[in-house]
Amino acid sequence: MGKRKSLIKIKPKKYKDGDVVKVSFMVMHPMETGMRKDKKTKEILPALYINDIKFEYNGKLITSMKVWETLSVNPVFTTYMKINGKGKLKVTYTDSSGEVNEKTKKIKPKKG
Amino acid sequence: MKVGIKIALCVALLSSLSFGGEQFAMSDSDRAMYAEMLENNPADIMVENGSELLEYMGGDAGFAKYLGISEDDLPAYIAGFPRYIEKFGMVVGIGQVVQAMMHDGGHKPLKLKSGNMFDIIAYIKSIANDEKINIDVNANKYMKEAYALGKKNFETARGGRGLSCLSCHSADIVGGVLRTQPLPDLSVKGVAVAATWPAYRMTKSSLRTLQRRFQGCMKNALLAVIPLGSKDMVALEVYLTDTAKGATIAIPGLKR
Amino acid sequence: MKRREFLNQLGLVAAATSIVPTMSFAADAPKSKGPNALSYKAAVEAITGGKAVQTSSKVKLKVPEIAENGAVVPVTVTVDSPMTDSDYVKAIHVLAAKNGNTRCIDVFLTPANAKAMFATRIKLGETQEVVAVVELSNGTFLTAAQSVKVTIGGCG
Repeated sequence: MGKRKSLIKIKPKKYKDGDVVKVSFMVMHPMETGMRKDKKTKEILPALYINDIKFEYNGKLITSMKVWETLSVNPVFTTYMKINGKGKLKVTYTDSSGEVNEKTKKIKPKKG
Repeated sequence: MKVGIKIALCVALLSSLSFGGEQFAMSDSDRAMYAEMLENNPADIMVENGSELLEYMGGDAGFAKYLGISEDDLPAYIAGFPRYIEKFGMVVGIGQVVQAMMHDGGHKPLKLKSGNMFDIIAYIKSIANDEKINIDVNANKYMKEAYALGKKNFETARGGRGLSCLSCHSADIVGGVLRTQPLPDLSVKGVAVAATWPAYRMTKSSLRTLQRRFQGCMKNALLAVIPLGSKDMVALEVYLTDTAKGATIAIPGLKR
Repeated sequence: MKRREFLNQLGLVAAATSIVPTMSFAADAPKSKGPNALSYKAAVEAITGGKAVQTSSKVKLKVPEIAENGAVVPVTVTVDSPMTDSDYVKAIHVLAAKNGNTRCIDVFLTPANAKAMFATRIKLGETQEVVAVVELSNGTFLTAAQSVKVTIGGCG
């Protein structure tokens, strides 16, 4: 399992059950297209890009993405989700080398 | 601005400099779109990395202790960098304090020009987010000296094209656009540039500090590149930070 | 401003239904030889299976008129949809008509998203149209497109 740096952001930070919140997943990844040359060695930098992302909320798949190398370096993916109980949001992402990573964020709705 | 420099400027930049060119003016809706990108700045991840790295060295509390101030006073204190620190006997930037702290703690200091160092600098400066820049260039003779040196470095023409920072970043050129980027007039007070650096640079896909940005700009203007943390470079940062005095710190920024 | 007014008018003209959303800059041959290279036309067909795609104002595509930097172009797609179990947006596909691989991302939503919106940043190799192709739960396809001017350059 790789150890990439990533971040899950939920906006607003305070929410209740039933609220619809904005979810952003950001990750440091070179998203190399396989068409660029190393400036010094002049060799082609091999393709290496995130190609699959799954968002699971308390074990249920709510969103999935098929990603291409045409996304920017250090990509960000933003969507929305409805808060439906305390638990975890887990993002699992795979890249073209087969490396799998995951990032989890606790979901803690406020009472009332 | 001297006639000679004006001519050199024309020759050097005629092809790339445009004034209010319709094709390069950014519309309000585009501007709003780029401002929105700040919400999910890739540099947020680097700032968090910086926070984790500082934790190894004692975190915010450890940093405050090393500086000899209370943790409550830390945000406002950081908003005053670069500053003269008696312990070192010179004016220093945040990076140099981190290096000293690492050294004193028995660790090999990170190089100033390293990704991890930029991340730590960015995290420390982010402690001062929402504070107003309060650098005091008249605090003592060292600060006064640094300010004068920084101003001189900013205004002195040098290098192959006979350019100074002022050649492009001045009231004469304000409103001008160089390669799609509006050139900020850095010769007058109130320009908040220093308040939004360190920033994520989209063309470099990385977090850059202000001093590192100076280096990039110098390289492009064919000026000899000054080392990070050098007296001249710290002086430039002092001068430009004073220009932004009173501006609210909001980092990490997002730049092209 | 004249140029922006003209661009707005262009959007009003493109209201036709078609198999492949018509555009002024459609390129059939892939630009590069990357393994994922796929022309715009082929990419749309792969998504729709040849079904009709309708330009719709329900699809709001937000991209800058002028990209400060072609490597990081913000894109936001929002679709007017109740996102209920019987009526929701199944997928949002983002394409860049002149890139070698015209596909950028395929986002598969569910009613749990509650709002049909997706935002990211893409690479654009040159001035071109960015297109959103949306699949609804009833099997129909909607689309919206907008041209982005990519300026060359890089100060540092």
